[in-house]
Amino acid sequence: MMVGSATFHTAMAEIVVGSMVLATICAVGCSMVRLLTISESNNEALMVTMDRASLAGSLLALLFLPIVILSGNIAADGQAESALLYNKFVYSGLALGFWSAFVIGRLRMGPGLWQVRSLSVLQSTTAALAFLMTSMASSIGGKLVRGESLFDIFPFWLPTDTAAVLPLWASASLLILGMVTAVFVFKFTLPKIERLEHS
Amino acid sequence: MNRKVIVMLLCMFLIIAPGSSVANPGGNGDADRDYSCGGSCHGDPSLSMASDATIDITLGNEAFSGQAVAIHVTVSDITTSSNGIIGLFILSSLNGNSDSPEDHGWNLIQDPNGGSSNYIEMKAPSSGSTTVTWVLLSPENSGSHELYIQIHHGSNYGKAYSGVSDKFDVNVQDVPEGLPGLAIDWVAPSFRVSGDNSPLSISTRNSTDIAVHWMLEGEWEPNLAIVECKSNSEEVCNDWEASIPATMGETNILYRVTTYNGTYSIEQPWLKMGTAPPPFEGEVWSARAHSFAFALLIISFLVTLQARLYPVNSRIEFDQTKNVTDSSLVPSDDSPGWLWNSETEEWVEDPEYLRGNE
Repeated sequence: MMVGSATFHTAMAEIVVGSMVLATICAVGCSMVRLLTISESNNEALMVTMDRASLAGSLLALLFLPIVILSGNIAADGQAESALLYNKFVYSGLALGFWSAFVIGRLRMGPGLWQVRSLSVLQSTTAALAFLMTSMASSIGGKLVRGESLFDIFPFWLPTDTAAVLPLWASASLLILGMVTAVFVFKFTLPKIERLEHS
Repeated sequence: MNRKVIVMLLCMFLIIAPGSSVANPGGNGDADRDYSCGGSCHGDPSLSMASDATIDITLGNEAFSGQAVAIHVTVSDITTSSNGIIGLFILSSLNGNSDSPEDHGWNLIQDPNGGSSNYIEMKAPSSGSTTVTWVLLSPENSGSHELYIQIHHGSNYGKAYSGVSDKFDVNVQDVPEGLPGLAIDWVAPSFRVSGDNSPLSISTRNSTDIAVHWMLEGEWEPNLAIVECKSNSEEVCNDWEASIPATMGETNILYRVTTYNGTYSIEQPWLKMGTAPPPFEGEVWSARAHSFAFALLIISFLVTLQARLYPVNSRIEFDQTKNVTDSSLVPSDDSPGWLWNSETEEWVEDPEYLRGNE
């Protein structure tokens, strides 16, 4: 019994989106608890639970994201024949970047990062942006297959009908720049960051 | 307790919410389809209702076997959902399968949207009434041939509506020998790329000459196009090229072919050709590289920001370099190998001096 690549891609995307919803809600929740300090009594347990849930959700999503991207590539038959499809690639890359940064930040700095106001805001904003990019990529899938998406009911819509198409040499140069930047960033920021434990 | 109630209500809402939504409210797109919706929403009596629309079919011109004929369909008094989409089928039977006109000897030259499908989707005008035209080549065998129009659409009450016209008999007449017409295998092009003024290829049969009239949609005065025969045959020419000017934007151009052979002069139905945007020029490998470049740049930027926002106090705890460089250990010429600590006011051994002696 075979499953079509488009069906497999949809199933994988659902796992990713579901995990990311959990991760985003918990990350924003952690940040809100830190910023608003609602109730001192339950804060600690709540923070630990939400922190772990956001980490588990984002890790699961990050694990499945490459599968989703790969199956999407196969489903698209290796073509980027429209602006929508091109943008799906770009938004997937942005989602991958934001989720990776979220997970890297949490793993390197530990659960104590939620105690630092600025880091907590950064982390929850990263999660929210990551979720937005993931939703955009998924919505484009809906647009391609069904001609509609959930974003149709929202008053805002990030650009999808037009694409900033780069020639191959420009994309390749940008990729090399990205790789060089990533190497330098990890080389120079790694010694500075230690895990922050809960106080 | 309150929290549990909220969670329960939220779960119930999430379970119930999908049931109140509708399937494919954005439509399925134009295609060659049988009306095989028997088990789905539009055909399921428990989910669908009879459409309130009135469907009328008229013939644009007399039908001769193998000749083009225009089928005008008027749908009126229709109530649709907020997106106003109507799906229209042109069918040759109501069996539910193998019911496309092409399964019964017809050949679709052009559908109302410029393609060549028996099922099209369109937006209903606010007046609730619209007329569309299919252009078909009649079957080769003369006699009576049935056609039906079946429609389906949504409503604001979440129901699927379905309607079918009365049987429409097309009396296809025999044609005299050598009557000129459009070729059976010729399909009218739906679109030309914006700015493209390359000539339009037209295939005919039994024609010694053709004339092509064109006009922009909305105009009333047709213009005569220059036509050129592309075959070397002496008697008849069935491959033609017509020079129709390029169009831009969302302009539709209408054109009509008149085929000649001796005393015969046959006016074919008006055909429509839209204007398509230039083809998308993106490459898949460029998109992939673009995507991963963005991923790496975002990671780099955010990790830098994380390092920047990392609390300064924690850095100071781990980094003792400043303390060492700022210490007030002063060497003395009188006491080589010893350093004077001005803070604690005592002499300490100079590790550098000891290492140097070794």
